[in-house]
Amino acid sequence: MVLPPNVSEADFHAALGEFRSAVGAAWVFSSDEDVALYRDSYSINWGEPDERVASAAVAPAKVEEVQQIVRTANRYRIPLYPISTGRNLTYGGSAPNMRGSVVVDLKRMNRILEVDEKRAFALVEPGVSYFDLYNYIRERNLKLMLDVPDPGWGSPMGNSLDHGAGYTMSAFRDHFGSHCGMEVVAPDGEVIRTGMGAVPNSDTWQDFRYGAGPNVDGLFAQSNFGIVTKMGFWLMPMPEAFLSGTVTAPRHQDLDALVYEVSYLEDLGLTGMPQYASPVGRSAVGPGAAAMATLMQNGWPSAEAVENFVAAQKLPAWSVQLYFYGPDETVHANWQAAKRRIGKAIAGAKFQDGEFLTLPIPKEKELTQSDKPRLGIPALEVFNMVARNAGNANDPPDGHADLFVTIPRKASALFESAHVLFEAYKELGLPAQQNPFPTPFTYYSRCFWTGTTVPTWRDPAKNARSRALFEKVMNRCAEHGWVGYRTNPAFQDLLISKYSFNNHSLLRFQEKLKDAVDPNGIISPGRYGIWPPNMRKHHA
Amino acid sequence: MRPAVLLLLLVGFGNCLLAQTPSETNGKAVFDKWCAPCHGAVAPKNVMFGNGALAGTSALAVKYKGKLPAVLEQRTDLTPVMIKRVVRYGLFGMPITRKTEVSDAELEDVVAYLTRNRKK
Repeated sequence: MVLPPNVSEADFHAALGEFRSAVGAAWVFSSDEDVALYRDSYSINWGEPDERVASAAVAPAKVEEVQQIVRTANRYRIPLYPISTGRNLTYGGSAPNMRGSVVVDLKRMNRILEVDEKRAFALVEPGVSYFDLYNYIRERNLKLMLDVPDPGWGSPMGNSLDHGAGYTMSAFRDHFGSHCGMEVVAPDGEVIRTGMGAVPNSDTWQDFRYGAGPNVDGLFAQSNFGIVTKMGFWLMPMPEAFLSGTVTAPRHQDLDALVYEVSYLEDLGLTGMPQYASPVGRSAVGPGAAAMATLMQNGWPSAEAVENFVAAQKLPAWSVQLYFYGPDETVHANWQAAKRRIGKAIAGAKFQDGEFLTLPIPKEKELTQSDKPRLGIPALEVFNMVARNAGNANDPPDGHADLFVTIPRKASALFESAHVLFEAYKELGLPAQQNPFPTPFTYYSRCFWTGTTVPTWRDPAKNARSRALFEKVMNRCAEHGWVGYRTNPAFQDLLISKYSFNNHSLLRFQEKLKDAVDPNGIISPGRYGIWPPNMRKHHA
Repeated sequence: MRPAVLLLLLVGFGNCLLAQTPSETNGKAVFDKWCAPCHGAVAPKNVMFGNGALAGTSALAVKYKGKLPAVLEQRTDLTPVMIKRVVRYGLFGMPITRKTEVSDAELEDVVAYLTRNRKK
């Protein structure tokens, strides 16, 4: 049995007794067998002394029970760690941020409280998954489209509170940015509603986010200032049609113009999330492998060498898939505008019409529909990339830890960051995966993300190597101002240490707030670097 | 004994029996909700981007190379112990499933469903 830090066994058992009174004995998990179900399946510290394991878990079914749990935790100084669906894999899963915390498992709070078709919003509890919300909308034939992340078993609330993102139009891809209104149990047990939810009898809680005065919603994301128990989201009206199209650009140097033109279209709201790729780069994991190895054999190649390489491969350097949502007339018009603008900007650009679909997808065609998240359909198909597959058939990993850093939305930054990652891998003596054909993640429309995925294992020696790589890449990127937006709990202190302007004044401000609203430090100690005073580390 | 009390006892006894009898029908419903998105039989077609294969079915196809069906619902060799172990503790990329997600009773139903054709 693991105990919370600085809590006696007697106090811990007294607290568990109060939790049982609050939620019922069946919903307090304290046996070793049950608590083991709250381990992070993808832990990068699996089986090691600093693996973040829980001391117990408690699963309330309603907000009043959450309040009772919080009040008990204050009495006994029990650290709590709330999870929604507990599927935040690669970022901690259902395990706590600090070893010995009691997980507050909100999965049983799974009510979809309201979906308004005409005003296009939903109000949900933490345990609602994207699958649940999708099925609710589908069963009622509501003309609304969700924006979903790759793993459909996640929670709209949990995903947005960790700044997760999806695939459709930029206004909806930013899941925190598209929320509207929260209910929160504060660390003292009081219930708060934000925005218009603070106005008794208001009917605009999910329509206007700000209300009046300071907007505090951001305090409850990636943080530890309360337990969010309800959250509203703006949804996209179901478009009549979906159209995809592919653009190719022949030369390596064309990426700069391609990024500008695609960004122009996206910033005007004419296209959804662009999907960049490199036909030359993709060939390097197949028939072009030997040629790429030759290009990279003496280190990072010159621009001239890269351009000559592209010409010899007889493949376009770049491609981008564009996705249009809207009425039949406008999706085709937007694709025509894209072709005209990009054709004028990039000599030799080519265009291929893609799939045209009338929405919503008929129910009987859902299972065979590809790229479901592009169409707002929850799925788990992305896990094929990390499950046993042809590339890792004899030694599949047990999980993975993602490291994405934010870089400017321009080709030069993408090339520079690929070069930095290449050198970081080389410094560790690992085979470098990077080459001059990196493609960005474009979940957030105003920046690029780039980075790497590190395997995790149930083997301490292998995990030690993965941690070394993760830290190396994070540190090297930070030297250039490229820092992550989200990370595994094992690296949250390191990540937050990079946000160090003016002697960490941002973190110090957050700590002052933490001390004021959670003086006992019971909510998620250490989450994103915010610790209670007795656990706080030096900033410098 | 008054009739109303007798009736309550009988209803209670009936529920008890029901609770102890795993349901293949409910097992399929739980499987469809929790397992099929990775272990289903139907994969996407005409993938625009990325890999559309179902992670679990695809992984088992790579692992067994045709010696056993990749689709779990077609297997005749799964044992209750194996199913419970993998559901609760995960395996490779498949994560742990908590009791607030799939209860012990629902897991028994899934076992009943996946072992319905088990060779004795």
